[in-house]
Amino acid sequence: MTVNESSGGIFKSLIASRITYVLAIIIALLAFLYFTRGLSIILTILIQVTIFSIITMSLNLESGYSGIPQFGRVAAVIAGAFAVGAIPGRIMAAFMGLPAGAEYASDTVNFRLVPEINTLLANSWLMSLGFLAMCLVIAALSGALIGWLISRPAIRLKEGYLGISMLAIGDFLMWVGHNWSIIVGGSVPVNVPDPFRMFGTNRFTVIVVVFFVIAVLIFVYLNKLTQSPFGRNLRMLRDNDLSAVAAGLDIVKVRTQCLVIGAAIAAIGGGLYVIYTGSVAAIGLTRLTFTFWPWAYMMLGGIGSNIGVFLGVILLTILRTMIIIFRSTWFGFLMAVGIDPLWLEFTLLGAVIIIVILFLPHGLVPEKIAPMLPSKRIKKVLADRQVVSG
Amino acid sequence: MAPWLSSGLVYASGLALTAGSITLLYIVTRTFNFAVASMATIGFYVAYSGVTLYGGLPYLYYPLVLIIGAITGVVCYYGLNRPLLYRKAAETTLMMSTLGYDLILLSVIQMYADFLTHSYKLFPRRVTMSLFDFELFGERAAAFILPIIAIAFLTILHIFLTKTKFGIAMRATIENPTLAGASGINSDRVYLVSWIISGGMAALGGSFIAMAMTGTPVMGMFIIPLMFAGAILGGLGNIYGGILGGMVIGLTEFAGVFILAQNFGPWVLGYRMGIPLFIMAATLLVFPRGLSGIPLAKIIRNLFRRKRGARA
Repeated sequence: MTVNESSGGIFKSLIASRITYVLAIIIALLAFLYFTRGLSIILTILIQVTIFSIITMSLNLESGYSGIPQFGRVAAVIAGAFAVGAIPGRIMAAFMGLPAGAEYASDTVNFRLVPEINTLLANSWLMSLGFLAMCLVIAALSGALIGWLISRPAIRLKEGYLGISMLAIGDFLMWVGHNWSIIVGGSVPVNVPDPFRMFGTNRFTVIVVVFFVIAVLIFVYLNKLTQSPFGRNLRMLRDNDLSAVAAGLDIVKVRTQCLVIGAAIAAIGGGLYVIYTGSVAAIGLTRLTFTFWPWAYMMLGGIGSNIGVFLGVILLTILRTMIIIFRSTWFGFLMAVGIDPLWLEFTLLGAVIIIVILFLPHGLVPEKIAPMLPSKRIKKVLADRQVVSG
Repeated sequence: MAPWLSSGLVYASGLALTAGSITLLYIVTRTFNFAVASMATIGFYVAYSGVTLYGGLPYLYYPLVLIIGAITGVVCYYGLNRPLLYRKAAETTLMMSTLGYDLILLSVIQMYADFLTHSYKLFPRRVTMSLFDFELFGERAAAFILPIIAIAFLTILHIFLTKTKFGIAMRATIENPTLAGASGINSDRVYLVSWIISGGMAALGGSFIAMAMTGTPVMGMFIIPLMFAGAILGGLGNIYGGILGGMVIGLTEFAGVFILAQNFGPWVLGYRMGIPLFIMAATLLVFPRGLSGIPLAKIIRNLFRRKRGARA
């Protein structure tokens, strides 16, 4: 996972050129889609890209920087999605004097409640903004809580055991949501009040802008975090946990903090996803979509680099969308024998994972090990010390 | 037999085989095999296609199931696992690589199901395999035949591992790969054979599980946490532990759901996956190395010692 630094300039220019190639391909594909299918498909792709960038960046913090095999990413996403589906709507309903207890999630009540909340939200931008902020805060808090709860029994387990336990917990949470109808309606999806209702036909454009701002903020935060001493601890833990212990690091504490932060961010992603789709269907929050696809994005982009994650997400999302759009025109030979080309999405996912592992182990943008402080500042600190001691 | 016991036994023997397959592969190659999910589903579809296209009982097609499962294992070994093993890849990388293979197999299964629907006018997306079974002593025959097949398979495996020269070489590689290599054992062939055996076991286990629950193209994907739970419960250190773990997981799931549903009502059925996971978590808390980590010999010795002390 570490990059050989001795190859210096050539290596750097190679990476830079690789980024430009990938960007060129992405722009070409987007332009192709824009001219054949129009703007709406671009907006859909961009919304998915922002949501999955957030989820994949959180996965990158846990698996890429700290080496925890996070195969239960979906658990935190579910926590965020359920929290946004269950709590903010109830708060609004209680505020408006509507039924807000267990009956809120019942399908005979919910479909009348949510439009009423929506009309209130559509009339006041302040209310909408407050509602969105409330959703984000609630999602992050519940994600942090579930991250902490999962970390308690699991944190002391070894690599594989830890990954499998988290995978099982994620699946179990999905079944709980599917069967316990008080949370998000069980098998009947519960509707989520829409804070973007006031924009009418421009809803998707506004969603793209808002989600993109949130994703950039998280990106900046994660970059700061991974360059801080805490980020250094995480990498040390990943590369050699024995020496980390010898250096006096509390492994359990650092890992728990990492899991809690990552889960909170992933839960924000889950919350944004249900705000975008407008409903929470527990059975749709599968580990395939919210654990394995983010893993593929991260591995293609480059484990341990957030720029790479963004490139990986956007490239694979475009390819996925293209399979869905062009399934009848490009894969007619499969349709002729009754095969739905939609299954090629799984083939693509599996093939990307295998090709990346075999031929591109560092991904499109390998992790860059940079000094924690710029050299000027290090020199200045040293000079100051000499002045003091001299 | 109690109503839960007959399907519980079938299901548990299927889980035992798949959990054993995961354990075998883990101790030989350090690979957590996600592809067991799709290998199991493939086993089910081989038996299903045989029964619906050529007639007969599902048991007739089990040799074919074994062979096709072994072929999927060999493809995975040569295409994917071998280069990574020689590169000394990390455990997580090995795990992810089998996940990629699993997803490709899953897409092949889905396409095959579409193909069966279109060309043979079958309904392969919701299959009750037990309809093709016959009755024996007032029960479904699977409840007797499948545990016997599982036990026979495991006995052959045990004889292979303890009595044949190659089996002993395999155990040597499991115990100490470096020393085994120094004494002239071809580790490449050991890895290959372990992939063949575990592929066959996984496919056979899948065709067993389909006799106890509805067979769908995503059947393996839904129950893979339980297969892993069985393997982890067994301690991942020893094949017999894995088999025992799968058996315990399968039986407790059926018994637990039956008893809880009688006492608390049918809403428990939705949470049936929680029971085996809870058992796994509880066992890991008490015995961090799983069932095979329980120091039975030591406990028995301590018991005897105390008795002797009391007499003196």
